[in-house]
Amino acid sequence: MPIQVRIPVQLRTLTNGEEVVSASGTSVLEIIEDIEKKYPGIKDRICEADGKVRRFVNIFVNEEDIRFLDNLKTPISDADEVSIIPAIAGG
Amino acid sequence: MPGPLEKYSRQVLFPEIGEDGQARLIQSQVVIFGCGALGTVQADALCRAGVGSLRIVDRDFLEESNLQRQTLFSEDDVQKGLPKAVAAEQRLRQINSQVRVEGLVADVNYKNIDQFVEGTHCILDATDNFETRFLINDVAVKYSIPWIYGAAVGSYGLSMTVIPFETPCLRCIFESLPPAGISPTCDTAGVLAPIVNIIASIQVAEAIKILTGNSHCTNRKLISFDVWKNCWKEYEIANARSEGKCPACQLGRFEFLEGKEGSTVTTLCGRDSVQISQGGGNSLDFEQLAKRLRHWGTVHFNQFLLRFNLDHYEIAVFPDGRGIVKGTKDTKVARSLYAKYIGS
Repeated sequence: MPIQVRIPVQLRTLTNGEEVVSASGTSVLEIIEDIEKKYPGIKDRICEADGKVRRFVNIFVNEEDIRFLDNLKTPISDADEVSIIPAIAGG
Repeated sequence: MPGPLEKYSRQVLFPEIGEDGQARLIQSQVVIFGCGALGTVQADALCRAGVGSLRIVDRDFLEESNLQRQTLFSEDDVQKGLPKAVAAEQRLRQINSQVRVEGLVADVNYKNIDQFVEGTHCILDATDNFETRFLINDVAVKYSIPWIYGAAVGSYGLSMTVIPFETPCLRCIFESLPPAGISPTCDTAGVLAPIVNIIASIQVAEAIKILTGNSHCTNRKLISFDVWKNCWKEYEIANARSEGKCPACQLGRFEFLEGKEGSTVTTLCGRDSVQISQGGGNSLDFEQLAKRLRHWGTVHFNQFLLRFNLDHYEIAVFPDGRGIVKGTKDTKVARSLYAKYIGS
């Protein structure tokens, strides 16, 4: 079953405005690589060149920050939802 | 409820506040950084709630496009060309003369932020850029002052309450500034008044809890709202302090407050220009930036430089995020334009 991934405002130019996209994979990394196939360039906005998640971006699986799970190796199962949350600045 | 508390009777009737809580509120001192959309909603609510003293710091002047969401201002204020902090102070005095209101027209930076927070019990974030937020975080952690992060753009907003050394601070969650120029701002992506009101109201509720001695009731999660996509979420952040690596609240390194991180602003003598050097050094995507800016003015770019002309200003941006704002010698104006259009 596809996993729902929440895309932040900053990255929606890459997903044709879509706020939620579907992806398949068994870990957060596989999910990101799958959305990269559909929306090229998005991985680069989420991860550094060395593959680590960028320092101003947080990824949550359901309510939990992957930094305190198993980072990009965090396993994903069917009912999970992945959210990408960068800080925002407007006010 | 006769006497001085009559004005606040509906709030005093709320048992968690009561007369004790109101008495604490009346003695409290609050600082709001930024007096735009978030700041006006916060100031209005805290002034009506009866805080003792309210200091509002903002660098901008009013424009007509502010009135759609910045609730303290009127067409008359725009016509007079008033600074936001001044117009807000005048209006707030009319709303509640018992509150000591101080509107300061200033550009907050690492050299002056200490003086604004002296004696304050709570800081509310209403700024329009990342850099000032990281600076607020440093100063709040350094002096152990609770502060409430809030931000909104488009139909989306985020908020988080920081009680230093008890809850994660902003740098526990967002370790560094995003590179300049990649994030949407309210001036390039727009913003809806309802999301601003929601985020600002959450911030005010958190402040009232803290100021009335109810810090234990504050929200310990990162909260996000999207009023257009109909999505409200909470994210667990409590364990973000468990790593022990936060430069600010665990290692005591206040890199923004010490001026080691963030931008340096220099007036370029005789050139009617101000240079803004942004730390980070990432290479900017000029194509994306140009796409956003074309709605607002003319844009030309090659691989070395992007030029954006708006009214009588020109902002030249280099791939490392360094910007030169031409058409002003005033660093406040330059930083404001850079934050609004390029995003800092």
